[in-house]
Amino acid sequence: MNTDLAPEAVEYGLTARRAIEAAGGDELAQAAERESDRRVGDKVLDDLGAWDLDPRGSADELEAAAALCRAAGWWALPHPVAERLARPRDLDADALVVVAAPGPAGAVDGVDLRWVAVDLDGRRSRATPRPADDPVRTSGFVAALDIAPVDDAGAGDLALGLVLPCWTLLGMLDRAMGLTSAYVQQRHQFGQPLSSFQGVQFQLTDAEVERVGLEELARYALWSLEAGRPDAIEDALALRLAAIEAADVVFRITHQLHGAIGFCDETTLSWLSRASQPLRRLPLGLSATRAALTARLGRQGLAGLFGP
Amino acid sequence: MLDYDQGPEVAALRADLRRLIADNVPRDYLGAFTEDPADLEVAQSFCRLLAERGLLCMAWPEEFGGRGASPWEQTAVREEMWAHHEPRGAQYMGVNWVGPAIMRHGTPEQRQAHLPPIARGEVIRCQGFSEPDAGSDLASLQTAARRDGDGWRITGQKIWTSYATMAQWCFLLARTSRGEKKQQGITVFLVPMDDPAIEVRPIPCMLGPHHLNEVFLDDLWVTEADVLGEVDRGWSVVQEVLAFERVGIARYARVERLLQWAPAALGDAWDGLPDELRGRWARMLTHARRARLLAYRVVATQATGQVRPGDTAAYRIAVTRLDQESADVLMDITAHLPDAGDEARRFRKAVEDHHRYSVSATVASGSIEMQRILLARALLAA
Repeated sequence: MNTDLAPEAVEYGLTARRAIEAAGGDELAQAAERESDRRVGDKVLDDLGAWDLDPRGSADELEAAAALCRAAGWWALPHPVAERLARPRDLDADALVVVAAPGPAGAVDGVDLRWVAVDLDGRRSRATPRPADDPVRTSGFVAALDIAPVDDAGAGDLALGLVLPCWTLLGMLDRAMGLTSAYVQQRHQFGQPLSSFQGVQFQLTDAEVERVGLEELARYALWSLEAGRPDAIEDALALRLAAIEAADVVFRITHQLHGAIGFCDETTLSWLSRASQPLRRLPLGLSATRAALTARLGRQGLAGLFGP
Repeated sequence: MLDYDQGPEVAALRADLRRLIADNVPRDYLGAFTEDPADLEVAQSFCRLLAERGLLCMAWPEEFGGRGASPWEQTAVREEMWAHHEPRGAQYMGVNWVGPAIMRHGTPEQRQAHLPPIARGEVIRCQGFSEPDAGSDLASLQTAARRDGDGWRITGQKIWTSYATMAQWCFLLARTSRGEKKQQGITVFLVPMDDPAIEVRPIPCMLGPHHLNEVFLDDLWVTEADVLGEVDRGWSVVQEVLAFERVGIARYARVERLLQWAPAALGDAWDGLPDELRGRWARMLTHARRARLLAYRVVATQATGQVRPGDTAAYRIAVTRLDQESADVLMDITAHLPDAGDEARRFRKAVEDHHRYSVSATVASGSIEMQRILLARALLAA
């Protein structure tokens, strides 16, 4: 029994976080939006050896990949790190995106990659982004996809394609909580720091319970992949459900506790909050994720102490 | 690397416990605290059975009759017992923390007198902590122990005392002096409940009988031999006691069992459930897993000898909310149960019991507000 990532993976994640900071940190997301180009920060990922990682090859590398996604989420790094790490190895492709009905779409714009899409039934397709109509500020690099079917062999891709972006989202929640904990201690009202008010403290704890709960489910779903468990897809969907719920709670509360400054461009929270949106609504939003999980669970339920 | 496989020893222990429960606990059993004395007898005989097999106090050190079970074996016991409506009855308290407190702070005579009966599964204890004006603020307790010759005379009132009607002993906190801080001057006494100076008055409540009582102490005479640890320094014993219960009840285990039971209990009616309700069921299964993993986070830390109070508080907040939210979903599901059939009847009763009991989840053993205060403290100190 071990509920922690390998120390090497943890160290790699911390190294990645520092390296991304040195390469521009929060400025990278702003530059990507300004220039409608997600390649900013590419070099730091190359230097980190990100694309040499083979998350399907070994548990060590999968954990390192997860840690890298989390670090990328911390900075809302615009590059599609999770999607590139999840790329299928048996197809000539650069990145994987999970898609769902009715219209396949993903955060695939702003970077020139060969995309493969996989749907919830494991059907794989070549995916070509259509030109996005909206500016990046509102689109979040989301574009519709033209799909050309390839095969039905994507069951293994699906779980990985669902799990890694949840690690990115987890990194965003880590950062949102860190920023907010610091802010409520710095900001004074009525002659005392906001953090001294129990009404503030209790909101913060509600958000933290969601964040740590997500962290544990993310680890579990990663292990499920590592161990090649047959219900890795159910575990990934359960993770995704918890991730969206957690993001809803954490961003609602962290915005509230930041007050008006939290939606100004001068605060990092504002950028993080917007960057989290594509991850939360694609390929499936909260209700659709729950429906997909429920359908897969059938009468069997979820693996556990009394599950299948 | 991550590994959520608890290993063959834990799996074997779990299978062993489930077999013992299936063979010795009636399928209708919903805990020892009912109007039917037979339920209490089930718990008493089950404890003796566990004791005979070395499973009751397996977490205890070998010198006290245990076998030094691993934290994961202890976790499996907690999970299996709570999932099956705690067939140890009230004795889990003696096993989990009263015994360990006596091991650490008791005199040789106290160890000799108290530990063997706990290890044999023969004795029920209650916890004389809360008072009418000392709930979450436990250190404000007023029950007074006054020096009288070579002993003490204790007068005061305890409240919310579970199992007081059936307990043979009480782990009692009383004030022996007043220091600068309210935490000073508190002493732990081990007192027999059959003393005529103790009166127990049950409090009727929705949790069921025996759960809540008032305990009145009227000039109860005790001696130095009944003091556990040092006089006036009982607060540190209490802190330790609460630390033993860091993970507390494995509420998630019962929740998961009931949720997983639902499709079988409903039979064909399951397919007729509104999609929205099945979605809530799936969500609760996810939350039950989340709470279980948060408990494992605490256990894993504990296994390395560390304590992270924030993790414990986060787990407790998650699991107590899970208890209540799952109870609402399960009650909703029971509205779709078929009218007839043993399975449906048993499920309905188990869910009804869970729902009533879940009301106390965010209050009992430290209110959710206290847990939020602890978590906020940890968060803001980080």
